[in-house]
Amino acid sequence: MVKKSAGLFNRLSSRLILVDLLPAPVVAKAGPFLASLKVGPPEIHSALAGLFSPQAGEAAAPFIKMIAKWVVNARKAAGRGKKVILVPFNFPTELIHAFESAEPLTSEVLSTLAASCLVGQGEEYWDMAMAMGMPDHLCSANTIELGSMLGCKDFSPQAIISSAPGGCDVNAKMHEFVAHHLDIPHFFLQKPPDDTGRGRKQYGVYLKSLIKKLEAFLGEALREDKLRSVLEKANRCTELHYELFDLQKAVPCPVPNIFSLFLYGTRFTMWGTDEGIKTLEAMVQVSKRRLAEKAYPARREVARCVWAYTSYYWDFLGFFNWMEEQGYSHLGDGLDLYFPSPVDTSTMDSMIEGLAGSAWNMPMTRQVGAESMSKAWTEDMIYAAKNLKADCVIYCGHHSCKQTWSVVSILRSELQRRLGIPLLILQGDSWIKRMTPISVLQQEIDEFVKNVVLNKSRPKRSIKKRRQKKLEAQAAS
Amino acid sequence: MIRQNPMEGILQEAAVLENRYVRKWRHGGGMVVGYTCVATPVEILEAEGVLPYRVRALGAPDTEVADAHLSRFNCSFCRSCLHLGLTGAYDFLDGMIETNGCDHLRGMIENWNYVKDFTFFHYLKVPHIVDQDSMSFFEEELRLYKEAVEKRFGKTLTEEDLWEQIRTQDRIRENLHKIYQLREQENPAVTGAEALMIFLLATAIPSRDLEPILEKIVEDRKDHAFAGVRARLLLGGAATDEIDFVKEIESLGAMVVTDTLCYGARAFRPRPAGNTERDPINVLARAYLGELLCPRMFGDFQSRERFLFDAVKRAKVDGVVLVHNKFCDIHGVDNVALRMSLEKAGIPVLQIEKEYGAKADLGRMRTRFQAFLERIEERHG
Repeated sequence: MVKKSAGLFNRLSSRLILVDLLPAPVVAKAGPFLASLKVGPPEIHSALAGLFSPQAGEAAAPFIKMIAKWVVNARKAAGRGKKVILVPFNFPTELIHAFESAEPLTSEVLSTLAASCLVGQGEEYWDMAMAMGMPDHLCSANTIELGSMLGCKDFSPQAIISSAPGGCDVNAKMHEFVAHHLDIPHFFLQKPPDDTGRGRKQYGVYLKSLIKKLEAFLGEALREDKLRSVLEKANRCTELHYELFDLQKAVPCPVPNIFSLFLYGTRFTMWGTDEGIKTLEAMVQVSKRRLAEKAYPARREVARCVWAYTSYYWDFLGFFNWMEEQGYSHLGDGLDLYFPSPVDTSTMDSMIEGLAGSAWNMPMTRQVGAESMSKAWTEDMIYAAKNLKADCVIYCGHHSCKQTWSVVSILRSELQRRLGIPLLILQGDSWIKRMTPISVLQQEIDEFVKNVVLNKSRPKRSIKKRRQKKLEAQAAS
Repeated sequence: MIRQNPMEGILQEAAVLENRYVRKWRHGGGMVVGYTCVATPVEILEAEGVLPYRVRALGAPDTEVADAHLSRFNCSFCRSCLHLGLTGAYDFLDGMIETNGCDHLRGMIENWNYVKDFTFFHYLKVPHIVDQDSMSFFEEELRLYKEAVEKRFGKTLTEEDLWEQIRTQDRIRENLHKIYQLREQENPAVTGAEALMIFLLATAIPSRDLEPILEKIVEDRKDHAFAGVRARLLLGGAATDEIDFVKEIESLGAMVVTDTLCYGARAFRPRPAGNTERDPINVLARAYLGELLCPRMFGDFQSRERFLFDAVKRAKVDGVVLVHNKFCDIHGVDNVALRMSLEKAGIPVLQIEKEYGAKADLGRMRTRFQAFLERIEERHG
C-alpha cells in the first residue's frame, strides 16, 4: 500500500529549507525574478507569481520566510530532540509553541501549500487516500496531507491533536483514522455545542485535561515564563490583526485580497512567534501605504465581497489577485473570523483561561461548532459584512463542508432579511481543481457582481415609467 | 392488538410513520416527542408519560422540499426526514429532542426548526469522548433534559418514576436481545428484514403496547427455522431504516442474521437496569454515553471494532456488508477502518456507499451483492 513516491511534507520541506536559509531581502528579490524567468515546472513559477504579485508587496517575503521556518522546524525537530504534533487548523498553535520540546504542524496548511505550489498540486495524495477506499466526500483540506502520510513514505508526526469533534465530523474522523492507522497517540479537544457559560466552562476543563496529557506525552511541564513569552507575542499578533481589520473598512479597500490568506496562514502556524509578528507588521505596512496613496489595483473598487467560509487555493494564489484586478475586493473569509482577544498574562491560570478563549473562538469551532450552526455563523457574517461595508457575500461551496452546506440556506435568508445583501452560492472544491474549473468560478462571480450586486445600487425603474417610455418610443417612431 | 400473526401486523405498522398505536395514543390525549439519535434516553420521556418517537424516513426517496434548505452534499437520509417533516408527515409530533449526532442531523433539525418552529424543543448535547469530564457534563445534560421535559409536560419526575422506566426499557431490550438470538441461531427464526421492522416499531409505539408484542414474537418464533440460507451476513454501518434494502439482500438467498446498525443492535445494547447505583440519572448517563457505539465518538474505535467482531463470531457470519449513505463522513471513514480489520482477519467484507432510499440504485446494489455472495460461495468451495 505504501508507495515509494516522495511524500508531501518531504517534498515541501526540501524546497523550503533554502528559503529558510536565505535572508529576507534576498527572498524578496529572488521570488519575483524567478517568477519572471518562467523556468522549471509551471506550477512553481505560477505560485511565485501569485505570491510575489505587486499587490502583496513586501509582505510576501516575510510570509514565505515564516512558513519556511515553520516547516523546517518540524523537519529538524527530531534532530533537536523535539516531537512534532499534527493539529487541525482550528487549534491554537501557540499552545504547542509554548512547549520547548514540541513543534506544531497543521494539516490544512500543508495541503494548501501543496495545492498552491507543488507540482501535481497534491492531487496524487488525495488519490492515495481514495485508493484505500476512502469516500470521495472527504475534505481535501486535510485529506491531501493525510493521504500522503497514509500512502507514502513520508514524514510522520509523533502525535495528533484533534480539536474538530463538535466542529466538523469529517475533519475529526480523518485525523482519527490516520492516528489509528499510523498507531500514534491521539489527543482531543472537543467542543461542547453549548453557548451558555456552562459550555465555555466545560471547554476550559477539556483544555486543561489536554494540557496535562500533552505534558505527560512530552515529558515536559508547561513553563509559565515560556507560555507568557509566547502569549505576549500572540497579543501583539492580535493587535495587528485588528489593525488590519480596521484598515479593511476603508473604501477602496487598502488591504490586498491575498492578505486574507496570509492572515490565517499566520494564525494557523506561527501565531505567538517573532516570525508571525514580522509577517503581520509587513501586511499592516503595505496596507497603510496603499491607504495613504489611495492606491487600488483596478481602475476602481467595483464590489466589496466577504467570503462566507473558505476561498480557492489551487489557482497558485492567483484567484485572490484576479478578483482584485476586476475591482472585486476580497474582504476576508470565514477563516479570518476568529476574533482574537488579548490574553491576560498575569498568572498561569489567566493564561490558560485565555488560551481556552482563543481555542473557543477559532474559525469553524466558533461558528459551526456553536450551539446553533446557523445562528453563530450568521451573526459573524453579518458583523463582518456590516463592518466591512460589504456589497455581497460569496460562499465557495467546498463540497466537503457538510455543516456549512446544511445551513447555508439560512445564512442566505438572514443576510437578505437583515442586511439586504445577496449571497452567491458556488460549488467547488477549495483545494482540488477537479470539481469546478477556475474559469467557471470566475465567470459566475463576474456575472453575480454585474447582474445582481451592481444592479442593486442602480435606481429601480417602475413598470409605469417603462410603459410610458415604450409608448413614447412608439409615438416617436 | 396483533392477534393472528404478529409479524404481519408489524409489517403493516412498521411501514408507516404515524402507525395505529401512535394514532390511538394521540386520540387518548397523549403527547409524542421526536428524537433522532440513540444517545437520547427515552426513559425520561416515557416516565413523563410522553411517547418518544425515533424519527425515520422508511426509505422514502423524496427530498425536493428539503433540498431547498439542505444541499445535495448532505446525506439523503436527513434530506428525506426533513422532506417528511416539512411536508407535514411529522405533524403528529408535539416536540423534538435534538442531539449533536452528526453534522447532517444537526443541519436537518436546524432547518426543520427554522421553517416550522417546534412547539417544544430541547437540545441534548452529547459529548464525543467518554471520560470523567465528559461523563459529568452529560449527566448534567440529562438533568437539564429532564427539567425541560418536566417544565413542558407538567409532571415532576421522582427517582422511582425513572427507575420504573429503566426497568421497563430493560425488559424491552431483553426481548429485543432474545429476538436477535433467534435471528443469530444456526437456523434463523427471524429474517433481517423482519428484525429491522420489529426494531422500527419498537421505537415508535408506547412501551405498554410494545412489551406484549415482543413477548408474542419471541413465543411464536422460538421453534421457527429458515433453512437453505445461501450466506449468513452481518449488516453494519450508517442509519439504515430501509426495509426494502434488507429485503433486496435477502431476496438473493442471503440472510442478514445480525447487524451493528443504529436502527438495530447498537440501540438496545445499553442495559442500565443492571446497574446498582442509586441515582437513575447517573445510571442513564453511564449507559447512554458510556456504551454509545457510534463513529461520532472519538478515541474509542476499539470498542466499535470489538462489537463488530463479537457479532461476527456470535452469529457465525460468512461475510460482512458495511454500508454508508453518500456524504456520511463518520460511517464512511469508520467503515474503511473496519473493512481493513475484517480483511486482516480473513473475513469477507463488502463496503457499500449508496444513496438513501433510491430505488434506481438497487440494480447496482444487487449486482454488488450478487458478486459478494459468489465470492463467499467460492470461498466455501
